[in-house]
This record gives sequence, C-alpha cells and structure tokens, in this order.
Amino acid sequence: MANTEAALKEATTSIEGVLGAALVDYTSGMALGTIGGGKDLDLAVAAAGNTDVVRAKVRTMEQLGLQDGIEDILITLGTQYHLIRLLRGRGTDGLFLYLALDKSRANLAMARHQLKKIESQLEI
Amino acid sequence: MTAEADVLAELRRLRVRVPQLTGAFAARTDGVVLAADIGSTPEEAKERAERLAALTASVLGAAAQLSGVGGQGGFRELLVRGEQGYTGVYGAGPSAVLALLAGPRVNVGRLHLEARRAGARVGDLIDDALGALERPEAN
Repeated sequence: MANTEAALKEATTSIEGVLGAALVDYTSGMALGTIGGGKDLDLAVAAAGNTDVVRAKVRTMEQLGLQDGIEDILITLGTQYHLIRLLRGRGTDGLFLYLALDKSRANLAMARHQLKKIESQLEI
Repeated sequence: MTAEADVLAELRRLRVRVPQLTGAFAARTDGVVLAADIGSTPEEAKERAERLAALTASVLGAAAQLSGVGGQGGFRELLVRGEQGYTGVYGAGPSAVLALLAGPRVNVGRLHLEARRAGARVGDLIDDALGALERPEAN
C-alpha cells in the first residue's frame, strides 16, 4: 500500500516520459499531491482545468442516460499525452490521477497499465 | 472612486470565468464598498454588498490576527464553506479585498486561481486611482 506521495513518485519512476502528475479531488478542483510540473506545466492550473473536463464528461454521461463509469480519459496533444484516471477504490471516490506525458518517450499502453497498478496500491 | 467602472468590469469578467459565482464585490478593508455585482438590481447589489462588506471588515481583523499570532504572516485570503456554498475573501492590494459568493459545487481550485489573479488586478486598479487622486496635476 502506498500513500499519495509514494504513489506519485512511483508514477514518475515506473512510467516513461512523465512530465508531471497530480492526484486531484474533483469535488473541489484541488490537488492532494503533485510531482514534477514547473514553469511550463502549472499543476494547480491543470488540477482545476481537468476537474472541469471530468465534471463535463460525468454530466454528459448522465444526460445520455449511460449507466456506466469512466475508467480513464485520454487527451492527445501534438507533443504530449494527458491521461486522467478516475479512482474507484475505497476512500478514493471523487479523485483522479492526472498524468502529463512526453509523447515521443511515452508508451501509452504501458502508462495505462502502470497507472492501473498504482491505483490498486494507493491508500488515501 | 474613478476606478469603480474598471473594478466592476473585472468583477463581471470573473463571474463569466467562474460560472458558479453568485455574487462578487470589492471593498476597502474598513468596509466601504468600491464596486458590487451581487444582486439583480444596482440598489439590491448596493444594499447586500454594504452589509457583507461591513461583516467582511470585522472578520478581516480577526483573520489577520489569527494568521499573525500563528506566525503565518499577513492576511492573504479566507474561505468559508457554508451548507449552501462558499464565501471567499481575497486580498486586493494593501487597502482592499475582493469578496466572492459561490455555489456548493464550485471548482474551488479554479475559484482560488481566478480570484487571486482578479484580486491582484483590482489592487492595481485601486492603487492607480489612489495615485491619480494624490497627484491631480498629473492628469
């Protein structure tokens, strides 16, 4: 079992090409923890902005009448992947893991696989 | 009060950027309202803002003291979560604050980001206006 800091650290070491990562509470739009980021990637801005992304998708699914949950959301940029994984373990409702990846270095399948593993070990 | 129109424009811009906001006003730290966008009519906005600004002024003193005595320095911001939403007070320069009311589902991360930026801009607008008042010959 890993706490927030350890889980984020694990994400940056086990996943290739991580530019920054955050554990975000999308009921408030604030990050419980961040790692990496910096001048080119403000993770507080990313946490708030991606909260809007997640909320919009949740609302859209309600309006479509889909009785289902979101596992992850992938946003592909020219040079980056942004991966959002909604957590559903005990005590982690309303949280998502956010990962910004360098597209030229990242292996998307591996990143998703690792993220799933990190989620299963995370304890808040 | 030459800055009132500019400050009001800033409050309106903030309400567009954070749709969950239900009201916003700027006030001096002594409780005098500078601009308000907080009701359906200008009269209602004035009345509500004056009442809230007076309360804000008294809370500010306690908040600044709390922060100072706790060794956390001067006042920057204050967020109160009520059963039906949030009340935020953000420093806007040395002599004014920006106060916001928001619904319970507001994105607090975004609220902080936008309110801090707006607070700094409102502070600059007020400083410019005060500067102009002190140097009337410069205009």
